[in-house]
Amino acid sequence: MSEFAIEFWYWWVLAVGFLAIELLAPGFFFLWLSVSAFVVGSILLMIPSASLEVQLLLFSILAVTSILVWRRFVSAKSQESDHPLLNQRGAQYIGRTFNLVTPIENGQGRIKVDDTLWKVQGQDCPLGSKVKVVGVKGTIFDVELCD
Amino acid sequence: MGGFGLFVTVLFVFAILMVFMSVKSVPQGMEYTVERFGKYTNTLTPGLNIIVPIIDRIGRKLNMMEQVLDVPSQEVITKDNAMVKVDGVVFYQVMDAAKAAYEVNYLDMATINLVMTNIRTVMGSMDLDELLSRRDEINARLLSVVDEATSPWGIKVTRIEIKDISPPKDLVDSMARQMKAEREKRAQILEAEGLRQAEILKAEGSKQSAILEAEGRKEAAFREAEARERMAEAEAKATQMVSEAIAKGDVQAINYFVAQKYIESIKEIATADNSKLILMPLEASSVIGALGGIGELAKEALHKKA
Repeated sequence: MSEFAIEFWYWWVLAVGFLAIELLAPGFFFLWLSVSAFVVGSILLMIPSASLEVQLLLFSILAVTSILVWRRFVSAKSQESDHPLLNQRGAQYIGRTFNLVTPIENGQGRIKVDDTLWKVQGQDCPLGSKVKVVGVKGTIFDVELCD
Repeated sequence: MGGFGLFVTVLFVFAILMVFMSVKSVPQGMEYTVERFGKYTNTLTPGLNIIVPIIDRIGRKLNMMEQVLDVPSQEVITKDNAMVKVDGVVFYQVMDAAKAAYEVNYLDMATINLVMTNIRTVMGSMDLDELLSRRDEINARLLSVVDEATSPWGIKVTRIEIKDISPPKDLVDSMARQMKAEREKRAQILEAEGLRQAEILKAEGSKQSAILEAEGRKEAAFREAEARERMAEAEAKATQMVSEAIAKGDVQAINYFVAQKYIESIKEIATADNSKLILMPLEASSVIGALGGIGELAKEALHKKA
């Protein structure tokens, strides 16, 4: 393997190549490989004597650790959205007030929300009383009586 | 060195595979369940997710958007034994991915079957007329039953709509005929009523006119009788006055008048332009008689003088 020298440029080329593949076929797989390749290239720039085996080992370890690092420190925290409750239908109704269409008896009743009925659970109260949605458990709302 | 080189190469391939297996990006509107050694552990939400490869696997991929299911057309027998074909649509949304994935097998099929049997239950308890006119109620009843039944599956049935209710062709025909007959009946009643009204009005009119006419005749007769009475009275009075005058005076005075009148009438007859003298019942002797009367008058007058 010593007949042709691996230059750090090759790793950087590989990094850009991986990015290009990621661009064409999005799946977030090649992103990590690209980052790893870039880091290996940088290390090779600093320590030109590193053998190809060491470089490959480094690349393998970096590829896996980059994911672990991302999972630990970045993860879902940074994923902002202007519609954080998209597709979470129940959660969209938390905080709203409705009138009971079926009285809460033995902890369960019904409210009418946007032309469909939802089951609610909370303390027993008569028909028509105002309740506030405070939480969602599956398809059932947690409600509390508001005065 | 060769062994190390081989290991590193294999490790390189393994690392790439690890990356491929652990990075899972979930698109918006979907949720993936994660199974660790085959047992459900958690649900991946939209965005970039990382699972532990080898021990974690993606189980089910669930669509969290509201979905529409077509309820296939089926035959339903109503309470009054009419066969109708009914189809509909169901709208539902997965609320709890784990429940929808593991509590029920073939979620769509289960939901459709539930809706179909409930359609039969609800519609079987109604008459055909009710069926056609109270769809709102049918929808509401279906929704409450189906929603209740599907909530253990982690889905929310938001809407069930009956799309089409089609009775068999002969029934539709007779319904059309019934409607037509109803309308015809109404039209005929209206027509008859109009005729009756018109006849009544006409009869009333002729009655009124007959009454008025009779009244007119009565009035006229009354007045005529009165007139005759008056005339008779006047004649009687005149006769009385004449006779009184005769009684007081001379009988010859009357003769004078009669004679004068007679002559006057002859003169009138003579001067009439269209009547001919031939037709006149002229009795010369009467004229002479009249003259004789005059002579008598004169004689008497002279005699009186004398």
